[in-house]
Amino acid sequence: MTTTAPRPTGAAGKQSLRTEILEARPVNLDGFVEEWPEKGLVAMESEFDPAPSVRVEGGRIVELDGRSRDAFDFMDTFIANHAIDVASAEASMAIPSAQIARMLIDPGVSRDEVLAVTRGLTPAKVLDVVKLMNVVEIMQGMQKMRARRTPANQGHSTSARDNPIQVAADAAEGALRGFAELETTLGVLRYAPLVAIALQVGAQVGRGGVLTQCALEEATELELGMRGITAYAETISIYGTESVFVDGDDTPWSKSFLAAAYASRGIKMRFTSGTGSEVQMGNAEGKSMLYLEIRCILMAKGAGVQGLQNGSISCIGVPGAVPGGLRAVAAENLVASMVDLECASGNDQSFSHSAMRRTARAMPQMLPGTDFVCSGYSSVPNADNMFAGSNFDTEDFDDWNTIQRDFQVDGGLRHVRENEILAARNKAARALQAVFAHLDLPPITDDEIEAATYANSSNDYPLRDVLADLKGAQSVMDREITGLDLVKGLESAGFHDVAENLLTVLRQRVSGDLLQTSAVLTADFTPLSAINDPNDYAGPGTGYRLQGERWEQLKKLRHVTSSTNPETEVG
Amino acid sequence: MSASPPPELTAADYPLSINRPELLRTPSGKPITALTMDAVVSGELSPEDLRITPETLQLQAQLADASGRPQLAANFRRAAEMTAIPDAEVLAMYNALRPRASTGPALEEMADRLERTYSAPVCAALVREAAEVYERRGLLARPVADPDQ
Amino acid sequence: MTTPTTTAPERTVSLREVGPARRGTRPDEVVIALSPAFAGHFTRTIVDVPHAEVLRQLMAGVEEQGVTARLVRVLDTADLAAISHTAARLSGSGISVGVLSRGTTMIHQKDLPRLSNLELFPQSPLLDAPVFRMIGSNAAQYAKGESPQPVPTRNDQMARPRWQAKAALLHLKEFDCIEAGRGPVEVEAVFGPGTTG
Repeated sequence: MTTTAPRPTGAAGKQSLRTEILEARPVNLDGFVEEWPEKGLVAMESEFDPAPSVRVEGGRIVELDGRSRDAFDFMDTFIANHAIDVASAEASMAIPSAQIARMLIDPGVSRDEVLAVTRGLTPAKVLDVVKLMNVVEIMQGMQKMRARRTPANQGHSTSARDNPIQVAADAAEGALRGFAELETTLGVLRYAPLVAIALQVGAQVGRGGVLTQCALEEATELELGMRGITAYAETISIYGTESVFVDGDDTPWSKSFLAAAYASRGIKMRFTSGTGSEVQMGNAEGKSMLYLEIRCILMAKGAGVQGLQNGSISCIGVPGAVPGGLRAVAAENLVASMVDLECASGNDQSFSHSAMRRTARAMPQMLPGTDFVCSGYSSVPNADNMFAGSNFDTEDFDDWNTIQRDFQVDGGLRHVRENEILAARNKAARALQAVFAHLDLPPITDDEIEAATYANSSNDYPLRDVLADLKGAQSVMDREITGLDLVKGLESAGFHDVAENLLTVLRQRVSGDLLQTSAVLTADFTPLSAINDPNDYAGPGTGYRLQGERWEQLKKLRHVTSSTNPETEVG
Repeated sequence: MSASPPPELTAADYPLSINRPELLRTPSGKPITALTMDAVVSGELSPEDLRITPETLQLQAQLADASGRPQLAANFRRAAEMTAIPDAEVLAMYNALRPRASTGPALEEMADRLERTYSAPVCAALVREAAEVYERRGLLARPVADPDQ
Repeated sequence: MTTPTTTAPERTVSLREVGPARRGTRPDEVVIALSPAFAGHFTRTIVDVPHAEVLRQLMAGVEEQGVTARLVRVLDTADLAAISHTAARLSGSGISVGVLSRGTTMIHQKDLPRLSNLELFPQSPLLDAPVFRMIGSNAAQYAKGESPQPVPTRNDQMARPRWQAKAALLHLKEFDCIEAGRGPVEVEAVFGPGTTG
């Protein structure tokens, strides 16, 4: 059954031929609704959002956005106790919002100067500031306020059949194309250990130093991380109202504890939030989507996590349906950055039937650059995407690379030649074969390796014995297999470089360097974060610029006519 | 374990794995430079050697403070305390902090345990704050089980 | 989107309250728990499957397995996990099926954590009559202590763009029908006119 049948055209009278064509356009398959501000079905302009206010007494915030402390819900309490800098709050709140908005876009005001003000702001005040900014100004602000100077990108590698060989091969290709982080998840949860292993091995084949995660429920995700099978965690969700947070079976305190738990094992993590989640779960308490998201962002700040995945994420259909929704989504990414959090900025969930619309949606992140322009570009065809579809998938790779070249913008990816891709995919499949053999897991055949090398989707692979795989996955957990076992398996089978890559990633846990804000691991295994790669944008000619060797790389596309010999193409 | 006071770091010391590897040790006391492929193959290394020490987390907390991130530093200090808590108990404590999962006395007992058994006063403070807020917001477990009809 | 295959008048259903819902003792029952607005404020799912049809298929699926279906309406929440888990704790077998007005459905078990489940059907636009039948059948098999193959679910990456906002609106309306403080009530399905078969 399809959910994409076009609406029937009007029955009465003769219809315009042009209307027929327009009715059939993909954009008219998208869902649009009227605003309902009383219920929070509104992007960011609502008369029901509170007015900003703060009062400090005895070194404590006793009033926040019109509420006194005895009436605080737990979000207010947590934000007042942990997120807002009490010493500067009253002074910062007294600065007119228009002035703070100007500071955000003024190249003569440094990022640090802006942070000195934003650390003292309440949620309603932050909203007040960004409401004054149109989408161009929001992009201008993002360019200066993102934490890490060099932008990066994150990809998904999943399989509709949870096929580990596919996940490994697509991870290798994704890593080669430029993703600095790769994420996977499952259709059948019990497959997780094998798929997480495959993601890790494939990533280290494609480009040593890529960081991997497996999205699961909280306890299992932490366990896989503790074992070194994954390198970081992201899907640790927070919500903007107390009622919805409780429905999600957590509180700011439980989530803060969980955040510290990851750090205590040397594992990088970030929270996840997004506009629209509260109204989608039925209780926005009458507040706008962006107001509630700003509460989430400040809660994350208070918890002391290094970063946040936001940009509506899986709720993107909700802001996407109301007026100004994508402006609010751009604004929420900016707010994360302007309170000094790493921002993995959405663009990761299927959002529209219209190619124009889904491209436009990503421009406020891609053009200025964010810490991760996509928090999940699908590095597998969308039919294999187990996050219910991403905004971009493998079929968009060449368009993405072309847009980078058109605008001289670094979106984190690059064109890679076919022979390199085939070699990486083949090697990833063989490496996984070796690891499975070493761990006594159901074998990977040479047919599967051949299929993996040339495959597009899960349909192109031989079927595996799923029951045998699931038994193997359980034994991985029972035998307490760790990342070290993967290193041994790779090394003993002769994949010395891959083994060394993985060992280097694991070794970073001991240093904790990847725990700092916006940390990634470069191809030469140097931790790169907001500390040693701070965003120093200060106007034209400054900050990160796509130039030099990297620009030469991004000039390459699949077909570029040679100017020295126009009858040929540039190799 | 080093007998000298911890070094004072600035942002220029980051990343420690490149600039100050001599400061980094595994929980078993090995220097980070001992984590080589030969050591893996010979079986000298165990998964325990790929964990972070409380000392290193305190160093990263310093770096977070030095770069103007006090909440991140506080997170690292909580994490430093939690290195002493075994995996299963960390998960149990997380579950105990979820809505209506624990009574007030149970949370107080958990805070005490964090302080006495694990010398974790920062974590204990977080738990006590949670207990106080949960009480006010009706998020403690009721001591009597829900009656089923 | 489902299209009607017959032009005959559509079956309707209303839920007649019998009394407060009690914990069942028979192990061969599945409790089907309906949300506050089901077959009341709303009469069809997000893709226009009549609630009468949803109930008919769920109950038939359960009964085909030789198990009894007992209907309960939960009034104090619109959260699917809470609805389903409440029902599972009332069920003599410990197995329940929870359904929201827009069609989102879950099979739950009383000993599982609230946010877990046996099977979850989160994409309401993809649920049609045959799927509801299979859900009923699987629930009954769990009740008998069997391990059925999970009901195969379609994955439509365009479901979100098309339906997510409408689903949010429907959920808000359902939320409005919550009666705080009221416990679950046992109900009897009263089917209205329409062709059989």
